[in-house]
Amino acid sequence: MTSPEPHRPIIGVVGCGVTGSRVVAHLAAEGARVAVFDQARSVASATARRVKGIVLDRVNELTACDVVVLCQPAPHLDLAGWLVDEHTAVVSMGDDLDDVRVLLALHDRAARGGVPLVVGAGMAPGLSGLLARYLAPHLAIVDELHVAIHGTAGPACARQHHDALGRTALGWHDGEWIEPPGGSGRDLVWFPEPVQAHDCYRAALADPLLLQRAFPGALRITSRVSATRRDRLTARLPMLTPPHATGDLGAVRVELRGAAAGGERITVIAGAAAPTADLAAAVVAATALQVAITRLAPGAHSLADASVAALELLHHATRLGVRVQEFTGVGRATGW
Amino acid sequence: MKMLRRALVALSLAGAIAATLRVKGKGGVPPQEGGWREVSVPPT
Repeated sequence: MTSPEPHRPIIGVVGCGVTGSRVVAHLAAEGARVAVFDQARSVASATARRVKGIVLDRVNELTACDVVVLCQPAPHLDLAGWLVDEHTAVVSMGDDLDDVRVLLALHDRAARGGVPLVVGAGMAPGLSGLLARYLAPHLAIVDELHVAIHGTAGPACARQHHDALGRTALGWHDGEWIEPPGGSGRDLVWFPEPVQAHDCYRAALADPLLLQRAFPGALRITSRVSATRRDRLTARLPMLTPPHATGDLGAVRVELRGAAAGGERITVIAGAAAPTADLAAAVVAATALQVAITRLAPGAHSLADASVAALELLHHATRLGVRVQEFTGVGRATGW
Repeated sequence: MKMLRRALVALSLAGAIAATLRVKGKGGVPPQEGGWREVSVPPT
């Protein structure tokens, strides 16, 4: 066994599914030492073997890591809470609205533990927040933020999206929370190439919750997910067809509306398109690496927060393969 | 006869649901001009 190298952080990854295995590959390629844990030990072994990582037998061995990345299906609350109590920094890529809400409530425990807890560090929330923060300096006043997403990563992510479409959505409208039914509010959204246009609907997505925290002055915040008519019709039923085993092409689009310094109304739009698992893995790996090597204040953070801006996460995500695109043209008003 | 009646009821229900879904959404207006271009994100 070689002697430990103190300058290389140890990053634990929980869940070696479609996205988790990509996160492990990114972390190892960036020089981190990786320790993986999965309920299916054979999956963890296969993932760790590819990067000369370590397989953990028990979840309590994660406390030896500098940062633990939670890539397993929701809920993340119990494990994240236990880890911050054990003074271990946590990056969660969970996108379940209820789970994200209770993870944010761990702020005081994380602060007491003296460690950061980064919530919603995947594609959306995650990359969506980074794009919102990237676009915000283009406007003197941010009035509205609108997020749309397309695609799913692994099967667990697909089930999560299916369930989200059938549950009560969340939005911020003129300074108060609204809860419209999931599957309502259709809008045609043009995503970056090659995804192009898809009908998108309200769903139980966590972006409004995190963006309202990060942009408290915004008047309207919405989040929509692409869906077909069949998706809408069957959203409240179990999934009728099995999800893609390896995920599919995904995209995220973030639109900010507000006022320029001169008072004129402007709209700025940015997005990214790639296999969903690739986008999410690049964002969460960049976040884990920067949290491991940079000092981030103890407590709960989202990637849209100004407190995280100093980590340059969008820049590091682009290094790991995320291609940021800006819409250049006339952003016409939609039903939003 | 009973099966035929059930099939007709099922078809009518399916048609009604499909019509409701089709007319309920109000749609949106897609951008008419412009397109996407890749941007670099250098460290600040």
